[in-house]
Amino acid sequence: MKPFLKNVGIIVLITVALSALLSTTSLWSLRQSNFYKPSFLANSITEDSFDYIILGASTGLTTLNTNVIDSIVGTVGLNLAMDDTSLATQYVMLEHFIALGKSTTYCILAPSNTSYDVINNRLSNNDYRFLPYVQNEYVYQHYSQYAIREAKLLQYSKFMPMLGVAYYNSEVFYPSINALLYPEKRNRFDERGNYTYPGKNAENSPIVSKDTFEVDFSNPYMKAIKSLCDKQGIQLICYLTPMKEKSVKIINNDYLVLNHSDSLSNTRYFFDGIHVNSTGRVASSLLFAEQFIKLKNLPFGE
Amino acid sequence: MVIASYLFYAWWDWRFLGLIAMSTLVDFMVAKRLQSTNSKKTRKFLLLISVVFNLGLLGFFKYFNFFIESWVDAWSNLGVSMQTSTLDIILPVGISFYTFQTLSYTIDVYRRKMVATNNLIQFTAFVSFFPQLVAGPIERASHLLPQFKVKRIFDSQFALSGFYLIIWGLFKKVVIADNCAFFVNQIFDSPGGYSSLELFMGAVLFAFQIYGDFSGYSDIAIGVARLFGFSLMTNFAFPYFARDIAEFWRRWHISLSTWFRDYVYIPLGGSRGTSWERLRNVMIVFLVSGFWHGANWTFIIWGGIHGVLFLPLLLTKTNRTHVLSTRMTYHHLPKILLTFLVVTIAWVFFRADTVGIAYNYLSDLFQFQDFSFKLFTKNSKMTLFSLIILFSVAVMLFFEFWAVQKDEREVVLSKYSAILISILIIFMGVFKNPSDFIYFQF
Repeated sequence: MKPFLKNVGIIVLITVALSALLSTTSLWSLRQSNFYKPSFLANSITEDSFDYIILGASTGLTTLNTNVIDSIVGTVGLNLAMDDTSLATQYVMLEHFIALGKSTTYCILAPSNTSYDVINNRLSNNDYRFLPYVQNEYVYQHYSQYAIREAKLLQYSKFMPMLGVAYYNSEVFYPSINALLYPEKRNRFDERGNYTYPGKNAENSPIVSKDTFEVDFSNPYMKAIKSLCDKQGIQLICYLTPMKEKSVKIINNDYLVLNHSDSLSNTRYFFDGIHVNSTGRVASSLLFAEQFIKLKNLPFGE
Repeated sequence: MVIASYLFYAWWDWRFLGLIAMSTLVDFMVAKRLQSTNSKKTRKFLLLISVVFNLGLLGFFKYFNFFIESWVDAWSNLGVSMQTSTLDIILPVGISFYTFQTLSYTIDVYRRKMVATNNLIQFTAFVSFFPQLVAGPIERASHLLPQFKVKRIFDSQFALSGFYLIIWGLFKKVVIADNCAFFVNQIFDSPGGYSSLELFMGAVLFAFQIYGDFSGYSDIAIGVARLFGFSLMTNFAFPYFARDIAEFWRRWHISLSTWFRDYVYIPLGGSRGTSWERLRNVMIVFLVSGFWHGANWTFIIWGGIHGVLFLPLLLTKTNRTHVLSTRMTYHHLPKILLTFLVVTIAWVFFRADTVGIAYNYLSDLFQFQDFSFKLFTKNSKMTLFSLIILFSVAVMLFFEFWAVQKDEREVVLSKYSAILISILIIFMGVFKNPSDFIYFQF
């Protein structure tokens, strides 16, 4: 049995060692790049202070264009929203932003509108984008709160990077090779973090009525985000993105809210039920800018 | 081993353990009685019990709904509408494999080719041996059963060869089959939306998917068995290097094709008799072999296509041309490619959900109207998967080619190639959305 164990041991050890080396290099490569938002924030954004940042999911990513808002309001903004993420991920993004020594006056929270009342947050599909920063305690803690296999693989990547890199090889390993060759390449967002869905052949018909649902901001991460913002002197604004067939009624006054869920009433603005297209993005950004100007001149909370 | 095997099966669904146990007990007792009696009548009756019981199990769990639906369809074609209901039957994993395995045992005892065992534990271990329980290789009692009777002494080299085979099998499953599945599922889910070239590529990728999936499982099973000191038969011997259909069937799913040869083809008369009888025997074997795979006309047609392709070789007595000469030269390349092409076309029937879908798929493919290749380069993810498949298939064919040239029956890895393949598995394997083994459904 000894020769068998010796041979198997050598193969396993060399395989693990080489895989660890490749995985560590892969995560390093991503950390040096602009490919995903967390490293884009660390490497590409030179400013340390902002007037506002946008956190959120695909809704925040594609509804508000900081370039439009900044050109009207005269502010410096940054879109840090990532598609397919929950409030828990947006909390980590805020922590990451602060950990990098950056500050902002306003934090615009724009997740999908239903996320505000999710009680049990789950690992989001794109949470692997924080994997290059798993050595940071806030990222590690984020992964460790979930019990599912994917989260455990990400969590233990702190000690054995090949776990997460191999599992998410098409999302992490191959982009990291790309990042080595083209460190400036961004994964579908512009130099301020914005992205838009194409203005596909949307119909041009008025939306007469919308079903209403209530938002209570009961997601436990709302309190966590608010608390972190308060600690950093950041003013939190909850932005409810436009929806095609639904609108939101707010039943909780603990937060400063910009409810634009019912602001667009024509199908030509929409890519699908919850996302605007490029036309809708311009309209939404203009409307937001208009309200933002008013908000900036008012004492917080009025 | 029995406890481990039963636990392994119970992990999937403990309720079906009773089926294996029953199949084991019936064949154990039938074989013992066959051993102890010389009365031809009694022996035939005992064999009949085993055949009816095993095929009855298979018939009920696998084919009941198919027969009902086909019966209703046949009458409705004649203008008679019938009201029947099918049953919501779960197909027990591995039933097609272990029923054939136990059946071969009773037939061999009936033919006095082997002596019935008196040891129920050993026989139970033979029927339920966990590495090959759910998807083969379908072992013969004469090969596997005696291995449970002898004391096994750990052989490092033998175990190491098993370890290498597990790595190679994982590579074929996790890297090749599961990456191919990414495109295959898309194309076969809605074949109407793709160009002729994309449909052709869909069939080619399925050829590699099913090979990687099934031969990968077989390699893992054989490898795991070797770790415990058991030798299982080779199930695949580089089938895509076959130079004609006859050779393909000597290289593909060997444990099943030899089972049908020994227990169906030869009893039917084999290659003896008139040309008509030989053709009939071959067609029966291929049709039954297709039907074994599943209760769907697509499998029967798939078997039929292979039968039809085999017949010319049989008639011209060239079906054994490539038995001895295994080494390849570049002169063989056209034959290899042609064989691969016809096998690939036949796979469309195997993969499609219905005969109609397969027919439309092939009609669109053979229109040769649109040679768009967009699906494979649509975005960076698609391009990435395409490159991974191209590279991994090239690696597989490279290793297999050298194995064929060395006249080996399996890919033999060295320590360093094992490390290389392991790293490829880690960084190219599909772990996030893996596919189930295709043959688990059979």
